[in-house]
Parts: sequence; structure tokens; C-alpha cells
Amino acid sequence: MSKFDRRDFLVGAAGVGSLATFWPRALLAQGAQPIKIGIVIPLTGATSQFGATMSAAAKIAVSDINAAGGVAGRPIEVLIEDDQSNPEAAVRAARKLIDVDKVVSIGGSYASAVTSAIAPLCYESKTALFTSSGADSITKTPHNGYIFRTSPTVTLQGTRVGQYALELGARKMFFLGPQTPFAQSYIDIISKLFKDAGGAGQGLIYEDKRASYRTEVDQALRTNPDIIVLGGYVPDTSVVLKDLYRAGFGGKKIGFSFGVNQVLAEGVPHEVSDGTASLVPSASEDSTAYKTLIGKMGRPALDSYSCQVYDHVVLTALALAQAAVASPSGTAVRDAVRAISQDPKGEKVSDVARGLKLIADKKPINYDGPSGPLEFAANGDVEGVFFRYEQVQKGKMALLKVA
Amino acid sequence: MTSYLLFIGTITAIYALLSLGLVVSWGQAGMVNLGLVGFFGLGAYCSALLTKLGAPIGLGWVAGAALSAVIGVGFCLLTRTLRGDYLAIVTLGFGEGLRLVELNERWLTGGSDGISGIRAPFKDALGELYPWFYFALAWTLVALVAWMLARVLGSPFGRALRAVRDDEKVAAVAGKNVLRLKCQAFGIGAALFGLAGGLYAHFTSYISPDNFVVQLTIYIFLAVTAGGYSRLIGAVFGSLAVMTILESSRFAAEFIPGLSAVQIASLREFAIAVALIVIMQLRPQGVFGLRNERAGSARADAAAPAAAIPAPSK
Repeated sequence: MSKFDRRDFLVGAAGVGSLATFWPRALLAQGAQPIKIGIVIPLTGATSQFGATMSAAAKIAVSDINAAGGVAGRPIEVLIEDDQSNPEAAVRAARKLIDVDKVVSIGGSYASAVTSAIAPLCYESKTALFTSSGADSITKTPHNGYIFRTSPTVTLQGTRVGQYALELGARKMFFLGPQTPFAQSYIDIISKLFKDAGGAGQGLIYEDKRASYRTEVDQALRTNPDIIVLGGYVPDTSVVLKDLYRAGFGGKKIGFSFGVNQVLAEGVPHEVSDGTASLVPSASEDSTAYKTLIGKMGRPALDSYSCQVYDHVVLTALALAQAAVASPSGTAVRDAVRAISQDPKGEKVSDVARGLKLIADKKPINYDGPSGPLEFAANGDVEGVFFRYEQVQKGKMALLKVA
Repeated sequence: MTSYLLFIGTITAIYALLSLGLVVSWGQAGMVNLGLVGFFGLGAYCSALLTKLGAPIGLGWVAGAALSAVIGVGFCLLTRTLRGDYLAIVTLGFGEGLRLVELNERWLTGGSDGISGIRAPFKDALGELYPWFYFALAWTLVALVAWMLARVLGSPFGRALRAVRDDEKVAAVAGKNVLRLKCQAFGIGAALFGLAGGLYAHFTSYISPDNFVVQLTIYIFLAVTAGGYSRLIGAVFGSLAVMTILESSRFAAEFIPGLSAVQIASLREFAIAVALIVIMQLRPQGVFGLRNERAGSARADAAAPAAAIPAPSK
């Protein structure tokens, strides 16, 4: 006990501190200078269910790009940082990526609170930000075009879920979801759709991370809904589904891709999850980009968010190749993204190697990635997204249609 | 690199303010406040909302600190019968309760959208110098607070607080108004948490209820435990140590081959837990241990005995 005194502790702490200062420089000194892309994703904490596949997708994008010779002879490097499902930690991570690593873009950012927190850092430092968050407020910030959102907004997702619920023949809707930036918007949007169609819609916002939602489920069932919309993430949606099953609810259930997905289907018993529908923003059904990516990952299917992270890296690389500037920067990425993602005269490309080759030959391209056609409106929101309509069948996500 | 170090340095100063607040309420008066992140959020929201209405930022900070202090004293009065672990549990619940209010009172706080675009002091005027300015401002505040606390805790009031911490009954028998002392210490602590919240809100320009989760409370407890829970210098040192562990592990992780990103992230969280266990095993009193005070020391002699009216017994 007495061997470890105050001096040892101070020396140790000082040593660790000074190493932290010098390591990144040691990195820079090695070999050719790679172009750095930051990835801020949840690897631990409440929103981390896709963290593993998101980081794997980012790494596959890097190897795809580098195998094709990189961008103008320079390799790409991604630096993956954990946002710990917490905006405070995410801000520190983003600051490190921007100031120390001088990344040209940051991709991945998933939870809306995290994206809202790091967005000002990105647009103030002229770093491009690619996000898979849905909250409408994100692209309303004064971002000068530095934010690109590859996920459909809350408004669009809510409308599609509501329309599908009506298509299924439902007339009385009840929404159950945790307090998130989009919960109230979902209730308003879907209820309005139901009222316009002569039905009725209500909602209840519950507390996140609880072990039981029996009270909330009872409250929902008292209104005799014929469809329940599940607005939560995987952990709470699993609990709600179990409680709905215990309460003997026989109506339809529909959720969003961040709540009802393969992770959920594997995590709860079949009889609990069976028949729950889900809408996943996606590329068209025969998207070769998607099929290639799941093949490389060795998985039968992949969530939309990991596909988006792959596209965040690819969009940055293609934009920089298109910009052909001597010193890659976030501004160069911002100015060139639309040229490679939505040029109507461009050749449709879903393979990054082919895209890089065409750009090198000075030919216009139009990149469609595994996450969708990737066309951005003036404010940075994605347009023309397809949705995969899926349903849990015996613990697997079965595809019903793409529209 | 410089701007990153300035950013982390400023956050460290905010951690140091939180740690100083915890030293007052926990280290000096013996009241564990696991709800410190709640007061931190209270100060942040108060300052952010007031400055949105056009109040100057300085006033926002003072108001944030004052509101936290008032709520802190009120809370202390409500929980006056609770001690030790029971108080700790209630403070934990209180902090979480404040977060839920922030989350659900959308008309005021914007719910989980949070508040963005919070004004920063002199940001446009200073330009490139702004990070230096805020860094200096934050650390000046830490120094000022530490100096003031050193004066306050060195006074008879401070000795009375420590007497309450060591044994409430003895302090009461010696004629100290225990409840009042506890409320004062808790209030000073809460005020510092609120002030730190105000500093944080105007520094990062965005706050949401997700910012104010228990994780930060754990970091601050680790900082105070590492530094020595009763010492002001320990609070500042502990904050530096915790931030060093948090941020240097980010760089160290890049040099561990063959691990996936998820494993690295989990290892970093693990490092914090291991650090706490190692400190508790090797040096439970922290780097700067408890100081023994002799009754006959020069300071004690100089101080006049406090009014000797016994507190009403329960």
C-alpha cells in the first residue's frame, strides 16, 4: 500500500498526459499522408445496438476505396470514436477528430441529441457532417451546407408509417414511444393521417429504460386500438412487445427501423414479436450496392444505419476525388457531394471503385449507395428514399415489399 | 492540437468546479450528493433560457448558481432527517427527477431537442482568441472559487462543518446548528454545480437532457475520490487526472492492434472502473489525504468560539 505514493501517481499521470500529446505526431510521421475521415458512432450506452455493424461498415468502405487506389493516390483512413450515447462525450470526441486529426468530414452520428451537439462544431470548423439522425431540427441550423442527412426525416418516416398502417386496414391507432425529439411529431403526423381517413389516433409518451410498461400498455389497450405504433428503440420496444403479448393484444403492431429490426427479432421470443411490421429506409430492392455490402460483411441482412455509415465514407471519398483539390477539406467535400450523388447526366454507379475510375476519366457519375439513391435537397435532407416494408416472421425480418 | 487541448482544458475546469462543489458538500460536510448532475443541468438550463430572453451572460451564470443554491437549500431542508446512504439515494433520484422535468416540459426546455445556439460571450469580437479567452476565464473562476473556499473552510465555519461531518451529535452537543450548517454546505455545493452548468452551456452552445446523465456524476466522484475527498487541491488534481484518463485512452486505443472499435470503446469505459478500484485499493484516502487538525493550532486559537446556544434536540 505504501509503495504507491503521491510522487509515483503524479509521475504516472504526467507521463500519460505527455504521451497523449506526442502520439498523434508520431502517427503523422509515418508513410504517405492518408486523408482522414472521422466517424462518431454509439459503441457503448443506450443507443449502441448498431455500433458494431456501423464500425464494420466504415472499415469495409475504407478497404473498398483503398483497394481502388484511394483518392488521387492518397489512401483513406477512418478514425472511429465512441459517442457513449451521450452528447457531452460526443462533443469531446468530435473536437478531437476536428482539431487533432483534422478530419475532412465526420460521419455516422446517430442519436439526434448527439448530432445536434456536434453540428455547431462541424459547421463552425468547416468540416462536413454526414448524419443518420432523423430530427427535423438538425438541418434547420445555420450550417451553410455542411450537413448532409442520409436518413429520411421524422416527418417523412411518420407519414410513411401512418400510410402503411391505414393500408393494413387499421382505423384506431395508438402510438407508444419514449420521449425523443420526434415522439410528439410522430403522434401528431400519424394521428392526423388517421383522422383524415375517418379513423382515430392517440399517443402516449413513456419513460425510457424501464423494466416494465404494463401501465402504459393497459392505458393504450383501454382505447381499443386495432394498431399500435411502436416509436421506441430496441431495448424499450422489446419490453413493450412483451407486455403487449402478456396483455393479450391481438391487433397489428408496426414500428420503425431503429426499434423493430433483426436485433429485436433475435432478442425476444418468436410469439412475442411475430407479425410486427417495420419500415426501413433503404435502397431499391435489387440494389447491387446493398447486396455487395452484406456479402462483404457476411450477414444475411444489414440495418439501414450501417449502410448509411458506409455511404458517409464513400460520399466523402468520391466528393474529394471529384473536387480534385491539392489539400482536401470539408469545404471541398461540401461543394462536390451533389456533383457525384445526383448528377442527372451522370452514369449510375453503385460500386465505389468504378466511381473513382470514372471520376479519374473525367466522366460524370451518379452514386447510389447501399442506403439509397442519395439525393440531397438544398437544406441537406435526403430525397427520394425507398422504404423496405418488413415483418418479423419466426425471429427473422421478412421482406414484404419495397416502395 | 492546441485548440483541442484548450477545449479539453476548459472542460477540465468545468469538472474542477463540479469537484470543488462536491468537496464542500461531501468532503467537508459529509453529505453525499449523487444528484450533482441535476444541479449542473439546472444551472445550464437557467442560464441558457435567461440569455435567450436577452439577459447578459454574466447575469445568467449568477442566476444559474443562485437558482441551484436555492433549490439545493430547499432540498436539504426536505431531506433533513436523512443521512449517509439514504441521503445518497434520494439525491440520485432528485438529479434524475430534474432531468425528467427538462425532458418533458417541452414548452420551456424544448424537450429532448434541447436548446441550441446558446450565446457565447464575446465570441464574434474575439474570433481566434475566443478559445484562449474561455479557457482563461474558466480557470480564473476555478482559482477564484478555490481561494474563496479555502478562506471559508479555514474559518470557524469550516471547522464546524467538519465537526458535523465527523459526528452530527457531537457537533450539536457543542452548540452548532447542524441543520443550518448542512444547508449552507449543500447550498454552496449546489451553487458551484449550477455555475459549472452555466459555463458549460455557453461553452458548447448546445444542451439537452441527455447531457445530464449519471455518467458525469460518476466521473466527478472518481475525480474527488482520486484527489482526496476532503481537499480543494485534490478536487482540481482529480479533475485533471480523470480527464487525462478519459482523453489519453482515446489516443492509446489507436495503438492496440486486433481489437474492434466496440472492444476499444468498452475497454475505455472499463479503464474508468479499474481506475476507481485501483485507487480504492492502493490509496483510499486519495492523493491528498485528510488533514489532521490540532485543537491547539495557531488558526484555531485565533478564531473566536462560536455562539454557544445548543441546537434544539430532536
